[in-house]
Amino acid sequence: MYALVDCNNFFVSCERVFRPDLEGKAVVVLSNNDGCVVARSNEAKALGIKMGTPSFQLKHFYEKGTLIPFSGNHQLYSNLSTRIMSILAEDCDNLEIYSIDEAFFSLDRIPPEQRISHCRKLRDKIRQWVGIPVSIGIAPSKTLAKSAAHFAKSFKGYRGVCAIDTEEKRRKALSLLPIGEIWGIGRKMVVRVEEKGIHTALDYAERRRDWIFSEWNLPGLQIWEELNGHPAKFRNKDDKRKSICHSRSFAKTISEFESLAGRISDFASSCAADLRSEGTVAHRVSTFIRTNRFREDLPQDEASTEIILPVAANSSQQITTAALQGLRIIFKNGMEYKKAGVVVSDIISMEDNTQLIFDPEEENQREKEDRLSELMDLKLGDLRLARQNKKDNSTRHEHRSPNYTTCLEDIIKVY
Amino acid sequence: MKQELAEQIIDLNKELIRHPSATFMGRVAGDSMIEEGVQEGDVLIIDRSLTPRNGDKVICFYEGEFIMRTLELQDDYGWLHAANPKYKPIRLGAESPCQIWGVVSYIIKNVRAR
Repeated sequence: MYALVDCNNFFVSCERVFRPDLEGKAVVVLSNNDGCVVARSNEAKALGIKMGTPSFQLKHFYEKGTLIPFSGNHQLYSNLSTRIMSILAEDCDNLEIYSIDEAFFSLDRIPPEQRISHCRKLRDKIRQWVGIPVSIGIAPSKTLAKSAAHFAKSFKGYRGVCAIDTEEKRRKALSLLPIGEIWGIGRKMVVRVEEKGIHTALDYAERRRDWIFSEWNLPGLQIWEELNGHPAKFRNKDDKRKSICHSRSFAKTISEFESLAGRISDFASSCAADLRSEGTVAHRVSTFIRTNRFREDLPQDEASTEIILPVAANSSQQITTAALQGLRIIFKNGMEYKKAGVVVSDIISMEDNTQLIFDPEEENQREKEDRLSELMDLKLGDLRLARQNKKDNSTRHEHRSPNYTTCLEDIIKVY
Repeated sequence: MKQELAEQIIDLNKELIRHPSATFMGRVAGDSMIEEGVQEGDVLIIDRSLTPRNGDKVICFYEGEFIMRTLELQDDYGWLHAANPKYKPIRLGAESPCQIWGVVSYIIKNVRAR
């Protein structure tokens, strides 16, 4: 059983942590250069403001004070994201960070009757500790978990957690979902699917397996399997390929973040070099660390994270950035780390990399997300370093909030 | 050498920040807690994972700004007390517009002439 944690209107929620007065008000967050809207509060959605609306078209709202704009504050969002992911990494199994505001984890070790209460506790903890509201979807496959999270977010009655865990609930949920809402089905594919008389996710899931395969091949079949509650292995066309791991047990334990980060960078660079030498790219980067199990007198820790890259990569910079992001999430002060390593997996050949997850030539959800992240410069493991070099000083960020969490000059004022 | 030394001295991050995911900092502005020696410019370590207890110094959001007060807990409501007679106590309850944002765990103060 999978759970998906999805932060509600994440960028807006980040701003509201330090501006509780904006609770209940219409707020938007703008892309680089204050160009266009990349996040909206529910109140802004209710005003009819769409994603991607150019900011200048909203001036009249700003002037009237009915809409409050923020320039994207990447440092702040990424800091709060890391806090949330660290809480999840501590309390959940097999955490997979999917983007700055979404992560999957496994509920297999939680008894079925405790799953909802477990997730409610997590949600309350994140709300209290970090101040961010999240929705959690529970289901036997990731695509269904994503749909469940969508329901959890849309209907207050769920109190933030929705489970699609029985056949009855699955059919009910799918019958309510327009096919275009399904993760992985893009706008152009929707047209083609609807031509076949398929309008809801249930219509799709009820078609015969071989018909789906003949129409949409493996990508379409994966969606079908997932909607029917069978977790599909994503992107693993090339199953024969292994993962690549570089790791080491240290002669002397390491307790300092900087030293460990140095070693992790080396492992990540070696993984990237191996990928380049065989002409492949990897979609997932995991970082793991552990203390010496045989030193029972010392505090013990063993942790790993997995970061999914928006686009599979093999450059040292990208792999290292992701590995270090992972390390920041799992590293604990006061531990003597004995072993650490980096694993890259979900490896495909470079030619295949132009393909997006399900729907190569089409504009699907994922592609949209990627474009968004380019605007915001923000997906975890993104080419942040590369882009930093390009940054010029003329960028506009008129409505930038202070760096409340990363700069001592900017911390909140308390009266 | 520098690194080795850093490992040997007491790590204040570790000692003062028990829950890094839940810890934020604030800077004192104004004189609302002056009688308890909390002065303008002091740095507050705020741990949002802590459940507020009677007598805790808490951070609240009130009338458009963050304030620090001492919490007095009663049966189903509470009071926020300043340490300066200029400021009236604020009643906390279900219907109150004022909510607790976090609990102050440490106050860091520069005691040399500023």
